[in-house]
Amino acid sequence: MSFLRLEGIEKRYGAASVINGVSISAREGEFVVFVGPSGCGKSTLLRMIAGLEEVTAGEVFIDGARVTELEPAKRKVSMVFQSYALFPHMTVRDNIAFGLKMSKVPKAEIERQVAEAARILQMEPLLDRKPRQLSGGQRQRVAIGRAIVRHPKLFLFDEPLSNLDAELRAQMRVEIARLHRELGVTMVYVTHDQVEAMTLADRIVVLRGGRVEQVGSPDELYDAPGNTFVAGFIGSPKMNLITAAVAAREGAALTVTHPSLVAPLHVASRQGGGGQSGPGVGDTVLLGLRPEHLMLGEGPNQIELTADLSESLGGSTLIYAQTRAAEPMVLQAAGRRLLGKGETFTAGFDAARAYVFDKDGRAF
Amino acid sequence: MPRFGRLLHGAGLLLVFAVTIFPFYWMVSSSFKTQTDLLASPPVWLFTPTLANYAEVFADQKVVGAIVNSLIVAVFSTLLAVVLGTPAAFALARYDFRGKSDLWFWFISNRFISPIVLALPIYLVAQNIGLLDTHLILILVYITFILPIVVWICTDQFRSIPRDLEEAARLEGASQFDIFWRIYLPLGVPGIAVSAIFGFIFSWNELLYALVLTRRAVQTAPVVATSFMSGYELPWGKIMATGTVIVLPVTIFALLVSRHMVRGLTMGATK
Ligand SMILES: Nc1ncnc2c1ncn2[C@@H]1O[C@H](COP(=O)(O)OP(=O)(O)OP(=O)(O)O)[C@@H](O)[C@H]1O
Ligand SMILES: [Mg+2]
Repeated sequence: MSFLRLEGIEKRYGAASVINGVSISAREGEFVVFVGPSGCGKSTLLRMIAGLEEVTAGEVFIDGARVTELEPAKRKVSMVFQSYALFPHMTVRDNIAFGLKMSKVPKAEIERQVAEAARILQMEPLLDRKPRQLSGGQRQRVAIGRAIVRHPKLFLFDEPLSNLDAELRAQMRVEIARLHRELGVTMVYVTHDQVEAMTLADRIVVLRGGRVEQVGSPDELYDAPGNTFVAGFIGSPKMNLITAAVAAREGAALTVTHPSLVAPLHVASRQGGGGQSGPGVGDTVLLGLRPEHLMLGEGPNQIELTADLSESLGGSTLIYAQTRAAEPMVLQAAGRRLLGKGETFTAGFDAARAYVFDKDGRAF
Repeated sequence: MPRFGRLLHGAGLLLVFAVTIFPFYWMVSSSFKTQTDLLASPPVWLFTPTLANYAEVFADQKVVGAIVNSLIVAVFSTLLAVVLGTPAAFALARYDFRGKSDLWFWFISNRFISPIVLALPIYLVAQNIGLLDTHLILILVYITFILPIVVWICTDQFRSIPRDLEEAARLEGASQFDIFWRIYLPLGVPGIAVSAIFGFIFSWNELLYALVLTRRAVQTAPVVATSFMSGYELPWGKIMATGTVIVLPVTIFALLVSRHMVRGLTMGATK
């Protein structure tokens, strides 16, 4: 039984189509993350769940009830805005208490709830300050406090950490994960930071141009991206994609060649099937290799590259190189292995970690 | 050169300051002079101050009554214009409805008309409904002047309030009225203060309609002040003292309210 369900959601602003038929669902207590490039409609989708934006077509269900036309407050959802949206003229206490006041909760109860939220978020000493007297991280906490105090059925976060610096972002990320564990509430979280997506999500929804590209757990998306878009979006640095040719096909396995490949490569389909669909002999395909799966020198399969530039990250090194077909290729090698420009070298990889996509970008 | 520039800058400021402040200074200082000192030529700069003019002013029931009348008219016209204008501004700032831009233009166009043009029609209307020489007619007329100011300034102010705040409040269960009352009004205080000052100053100083629409009962301060300017010998000292007394309440009001005009009240809402 799904707790949150979107059915065929569409959104148009005049002639501009922003969401084009999105159907997804989330179980109770699940942490769902929407990722996608800027402008793909993540915020719009979230706002339609909240009721801040009307749907052009489709239905929204929360906790078994159809809420498509229900006003925001009655949906029992809380939202944390990218801008925090704290009321600047009210103290932290009043900000957190605002929703309870609006729903006419008795004073003593409000006080108890605010104290409880302040305890969970460790901000008791800040309760009498105004938002402008707080740091970015503290404001973020207040915004979360305002969201949890009403015990919503659903938490919505719209890029809540994007205004924080890197260190604080990592810290708040852990805190949000902790909050999710402690409260056990369903959360929908929008971000375009794939690290946030990978670390927080039970399930990731990858969006592009108002459509769902793929839904799955972080590992599923990493291990079996449905197309080159998802493959490029999940994982950092991005997956390398090079153009290869199909030399042979046996059911669900292909043999591909590339000028840089030392020997023809045998790859099995990740989509199980195979059958008659997919690329055949003579077709060109895209061969995907993740930077972290390429090892200098070793490995059962080898690819010959020419180095352009190396960057040491301390514990590992990023090597920017080119294939013989002048395609860019990035490797993440363990340790410090600085290669000079123009140096040729071979990198090894496991065929099980190679990805193949047909020329339309669909995974094989 | 920058030194010279600074000097020039300072001199310019001084000049502007002198030009604006001098009449004011002359009025205040003259109000403490005797008739002899006042009419001295060349003018005397050092003199023994006297409170005789003020004693005369406060002894004159007409002046005291006029100040009370002016206070009543200015306070109520400003208050009502704010009470009516802020919800209108909220609607114009945050809702889309048919004829919105026309309505907006209508508010602005009110100020295109020269006040004198409407003086006679309003006089006739007031006469017909028996409102001549009442506080009410002045309050009503002044509201038509102040309301557009309140609506303009507050619409602009309200538009600058981040939309997120309203949406956050909506999610928390706030009604439209709650949003107006608990968010837009408190955050709109700088704009409301500015328009209230303008409104108050306008009502307080307005002379034309006050002359046309009132007789004995409801003479306002500017009317009384000008009424001294007739007859054979002008009582300069009293006129100056009356002027000073008239300027005082506006100044105090402006000083009180200006504390709220600080910008950046919305700071910390969003970042
Ligand atoms: N009120 C509106 N009128 C017209 N177009 C809009 C409106 N709101 C959003 N859009 C368009 O809808 C698209 C999706 O916007 P949305 O804010 O949902 O993107 P997003 O995925 O959240 O992007 P970002 O990561 O930059 O926040 C954008 O192309 C945007 O221009
Ligand atoms: Mg967005």
